[in-house]
Amino acid sequence: MNINELAVGKNALIERYRSNTVFSERLMELGLTPGTRITLVRRAPFSGPIEIAYGHLRLALRPAEGDGIYILPV
Amino acid sequence: MPHATRIAFVGTPNCGKTTIFNTLTGLRQKVGNFPGVTVAPAVGRVTGTNTEAIDLPGIYSFAPKSPDEQLTVGVLSGMEQTIPRPDGIAFIIDGTNIEKGLFLFSYFAELGLPSIVVVTMIDEIKACGSTLDDIELEHILGVPVIPVVGNKGSGIEDVRLKLTDIKEFAVPNKLAEPEADIPARYTSVRNIAANVVASPVRDRRTEFLDKIFLHPIAGPTVFLAVMALFFQSIFTWATPLMDGIDSMFSLAQDGINTVVPDGIARSFLAKGIVAGVGSVLVFLPQILILNVFIVILEDCGYLARAAFLVDRAMGLFGLQGRSFIPLLGSFACAIPGIMSARIIPSEKDRMITMLIAPLMTCSARLPVYALLISAFIAPIYIGGFFSLQAMVLAGLYIAATLVGLLIALLLKKTMFRGAQTPFLIEFPPYRKPSLKNIAVSAWGRSREFLINAGTIILTLSVILWVLAEFPRANIPAEMQPLQAAQTQLEYSFAGRIGHTLQPAFAPIGFDWKMTVGVIGSFAAREVFVAVMGQLYAADVSENDVTLREALGANISLASALAVLAFYVFALQCISTIAVLRRETNSWKWPAFAFVYTFVLAYSASFAAYHITLFLGG
Repeated sequence: MNINELAVGKNALIERYRSNTVFSERLMELGLTPGTRITLVRRAPFSGPIEIAYGHLRLALRPAEGDGIYILPV
Repeated sequence: MPHATRIAFVGTPNCGKTTIFNTLTGLRQKVGNFPGVTVAPAVGRVTGTNTEAIDLPGIYSFAPKSPDEQLTVGVLSGMEQTIPRPDGIAFIIDGTNIEKGLFLFSYFAELGLPSIVVVTMIDEIKACGSTLDDIELEHILGVPVIPVVGNKGSGIEDVRLKLTDIKEFAVPNKLAEPEADIPARYTSVRNIAANVVASPVRDRRTEFLDKIFLHPIAGPTVFLAVMALFFQSIFTWATPLMDGIDSMFSLAQDGINTVVPDGIARSFLAKGIVAGVGSVLVFLPQILILNVFIVILEDCGYLARAAFLVDRAMGLFGLQGRSFIPLLGSFACAIPGIMSARIIPSEKDRMITMLIAPLMTCSARLPVYALLISAFIAPIYIGGFFSLQAMVLAGLYIAATLVGLLIALLLKKTMFRGAQTPFLIEFPPYRKPSLKNIAVSAWGRSREFLINAGTIILTLSVILWVLAEFPRANIPAEMQPLQAAQTQLEYSFAGRIGHTLQPAFAPIGFDWKMTVGVIGSFAAREVFVAVMGQLYAADVSENDVTLREALGANISLASALAVLAFYVFALQCISTIAVLRRETNSWKWPAFAFVYTFVLAYSASFAAYHITLFLGG
């Protein structure tokens, strides 16, 4: 299951990234390493960006990239 | 004399580094000018010390993903040829994000440079019900750790004390195996973080504010209100200040007219120097207000939310939310705007953003807009509140922005084809911006404008004065002063150049004076006002008529609208062309930008002129 399939307000653990890209490396540098617990905070309307929170951090990314982030719901 | 100790200020983006840097260096900092380097980090003397601080762009790791990160990593590893390797490191950690800071520090520990660690946002850690054990952190890292509250300046004096002597610095302990990958490093620094910070509670203030500012309906409403305030403020609030500066320069001119005897010297001082510089300096209040506004939006954390809100819309034009920040900055000045496009990791998105940045209405256009709008648009209020002048101004901004976005889409579909590039933006917690930081940053940005006004504009103003005063016409002694001045202008170099080139601009309704103004503006847009000041001050020198009234009496509405349309699009700025050349490392892109904007400008003027004539204007 990928991060786009998570409902707003629900928690999950990062499982792995579909492929090893510059983008997935940046997400890991920001602390989104496998095993990190995240919350899907909100989605912007009209398939806009999604906001995720983990620890004390929040960041936004586009659903297109979210497809490549696999999660385990908790 | 021994060379100053050079200390690099480094940290993750948005860790409070620049606030600390601004507090320590005060107004003494300057933008570093290192030849051959695309990025210009700020450098400054730390007040009260012999230490030179370099504010390097924030990074997340030693694997750079954009040109500004590349610079920081290059300088630190001693690979950057034009900036010497620093003697020591002041490493800034955002106290609310200890893990991210320590993760980056794990790479720094391997550099072996003497370091200190400054932990910021201590007040926020406490507000979240947490604490920092700085003694334990110092023990683990092996370097001095100084907690500070950036906004209030407490702890800053301890940092300054450490910076006076590099012997106070220490080489850090290694935090991970040199070959450790990202997850391994995070595991290691999370253990450290757990030992020094009591687990924080949620930041309820930020959560609450985001519920409003990112709400599907309230969010865009607030965004539009902020943008409306943005435009209303730069046109309305600046007026009293502008009137004050205006009357100061009038007084200076009167003074010169009474003290200096009639002749070339008086004309040079009053028309060449005072009129030229004065008519540009009068717009400093608008530029200051605009810069203060942008700095506040950046500092309080709203700009990142705005990027989230506009990302979907920007996506329609092939751009992304991150492009919003350079483009918004370009409303102040395309130069910092184009430079801040470095925050866009994708090369294609960055190129498109830079190429359309000159179409965002920079503050240098404001003098031209303000002059022509106040001369030709009635100062009436629609519905008792909305100023017609402000609405016309907003219309010019909107037209330029829309065309810019359409050009972006066109570029994305043609020259810069490719897949959508990742968009990733961090949301900092909402913070009350520091007054000192607003003052230092806004002043630093406005100073660029002043330096332009002081050097380029003054030089051009003098050149234009020479062109307008020489060669001297043979004027009979009995001729009226007003007529004499006009005869002189027609006879001068400026008059001849204007007359020669005017046919090229005739289809868009420019007379020879406007042609001189537009040609002069290709150095910098503000020059137009200076030229009009000179050309028409010459016309009305014996009457107490202000420039805008003179223009209103001498130029047709159709021609005035054509000039406005021309300035909306034309890339008339040598500095912007130079920055585009530097940032793209090629003359091809500035040439391309210049040509496409000229074609747009000429077409828009043609349309404005002929439509107004057709409608009977």
